[in-house]
Amino acid sequence: MIDLKEMILSKDNLIPLLRKLKKDARLIAPVQNKYGDTLFREIDDIDGTEIDLHNQPQASLKPFFLPQQETLADYTITNGEYSFTPPAKAEDTIFFGVRSCDLTALLYMDLIFSKPSKDPTYYDRRNHSLIITLGCNQPFPNCFCEATGSGPYLEYGYGLQFIDLGDRYFVSAGRGKGADLLKKWAYFFREVNEEDQQKRYQLFLEARGQFTRNIQVAHACRKLEKETVPEEIWEKLSRRCYDCGGCAYVCPTCTCFSIDDMILDAKHGLRIRTWDACTSSGFTRMAGGHNPTDRSRHALKRRFLHKLKYDFERHGKASCTGCGRCIDICFGGVDITTFIDLLTTQTQKKP
Amino acid sequence: MNKTFIPSQANICEIIHENEQIATFRLELINKSIPFAFLPGQFLMLSIPHCGEAAISISSSPTALPLIDLSIRKAGKLTNAIHTMKAGNQVGIRGPFGKPFPTETFANRDLLFVAGGIGLAPLKSVIDYSLFHSSVEKDAVQSMTLLYGSRTPLDIAFQSTVNNWQKQGVDCRLTVDKTETDWQGNVGLVTDLLPDYKLTDNTTALVCGPPVMIKFVIAQLSAMGCSDEAIFTTLERHMKCGMGTCGHCHLDGKMVCVDGPVFSLSQLKTMDVMEFSQ
Repeated sequence: MIDLKEMILSKDNLIPLLRKLKKDARLIAPVQNKYGDTLFREIDDIDGTEIDLHNQPQASLKPFFLPQQETLADYTITNGEYSFTPPAKAEDTIFFGVRSCDLTALLYMDLIFSKPSKDPTYYDRRNHSLIITLGCNQPFPNCFCEATGSGPYLEYGYGLQFIDLGDRYFVSAGRGKGADLLKKWAYFFREVNEEDQQKRYQLFLEARGQFTRNIQVAHACRKLEKETVPEEIWEKLSRRCYDCGGCAYVCPTCTCFSIDDMILDAKHGLRIRTWDACTSSGFTRMAGGHNPTDRSRHALKRRFLHKLKYDFERHGKASCTGCGRCIDICFGGVDITTFIDLLTTQTQKKP
Repeated sequence: MNKTFIPSQANICEIIHENEQIATFRLELINKSIPFAFLPGQFLMLSIPHCGEAAISISSSPTALPLIDLSIRKAGKLTNAIHTMKAGNQVGIRGPFGKPFPTETFANRDLLFVAGGIGLAPLKSVIDYSLFHSSVEKDAVQSMTLLYGSRTPLDIAFQSTVNNWQKQGVDCRLTVDKTETDWQGNVGLVTDLLPDYKLTDNTTALVCGPPVMIKFVIAQLSAMGCSDEAIFTTLERHMKCGMGTCGHCHLDGKMVCVDGPVFSLSQLKTMDVMEFSQ
């Protein structure tokens, strides 16, 4: 058993607990804005803000660890001297209401940003973070985390995992900070009894039975291990990709980035890291114009093969977490599930 | 070694004009206590004020350290900007990055260098390195031959370096694609020089130049009987981090900045490399 401790938190105690936690760290949780969009944001006033645990957050945790735009260094040019200064350190932050798929994505990002050495700004934020997840009792319409092994509940990786048992939460603590937190605030919790255990297990089975999408992720990975994708599939997908980069931006595991300079004035500037998308036409273009990728045929090849082939080869697991966000964002209808369907249904036709 | 995102300051000590388009920038780290070592074939991420970064091969030999040469052709915004800089100005460098040429396997080998244009830059590092080792060790290399193609006589870069190599026993054969001047040498593509080279089992070929040149040279070397394990080239890709994270140089499951840029032909054959596929 990886969980060090399991406890029960009455829902009446949730806000008092979060209020205590907020004294020592920034608190980030999903909140619905006036346009009806649920997004993670910092909670300043815990009593005046309603945390939305009913809707799927539209963005993952990615922006908090790999911001859409961040400063890697400040630079100064004075009398021919050209020097760089690293950015300020991160603050302690607790994330509450994170879904299983998004924590799985974060664990994947930990892997990506640990080689060849730990990425300084990413790991600074990561080391200052504690993640409290909420297991999904009711998958959302586009979800397929069961097929990617990243939900609906998790076995490890979280600081704390909350499971909604109706009037109370079943709380599991991970190693380190999560267990410490549970110990520190023990008076908010009570011991787990047999009924709590059974209810949790019952809800887990029910959740697994409620997925409406059947995406053959594992089948696709095994097929890609052995076979080359027919060119027609790439061409068909490329025709409907409009180079918007939406899929890569909403994807919790798309971590490709660009680094550019932002000029502030003649003597100062910032070295900026921004999100990039391998689907965009300029991604591989070099100075002088040579481009080793033919976008008209292979716009999506890199993205899908990276997630389902190369990461499967390297880590034994695809780097799609089944969050389903790319399904809604793609107006060409060529998200990863379209590719998986095209690839896997084609096999069945062949003898 | 600088494998972070914060560049180390370096001073431009000297600028050597190679031709209209190419110059060699001789750099030295300002902070001499930063450990820095590299092998031929590795590259740096070069920062130029207000222009960001670009991946540039090191064109000098590690034996010339603490001086580091970067030979740069005007190709885009950053490379044009460095051509306006002067000795005494500062640039930023990170690295070195990437896998080098397998110089440890060059003992007693006949080295054949085939270069086109600025493609001579990374090979220059190997030639200088091997010449240094030949001067101190008996078996460093058996022989060295350079086949070097340029567009026109005016495009020939590294002329004085080539003259020096010739004096030190490197068999240098130059050719130009076309000429309008009183050029006395070979006219034709660099591949035209290959048939005159006596290729043996002992040959290791190192090829660098424009993608189309690499493709034809490799094909011809294979046809002449050179094994896939004895042909090496270095790939050029758009790069942002140099550390295998940013994704730009991803090539069929490999990262050119970490797994390359130097690849043997046997490695390239297992990958889907667009330059060589058509």
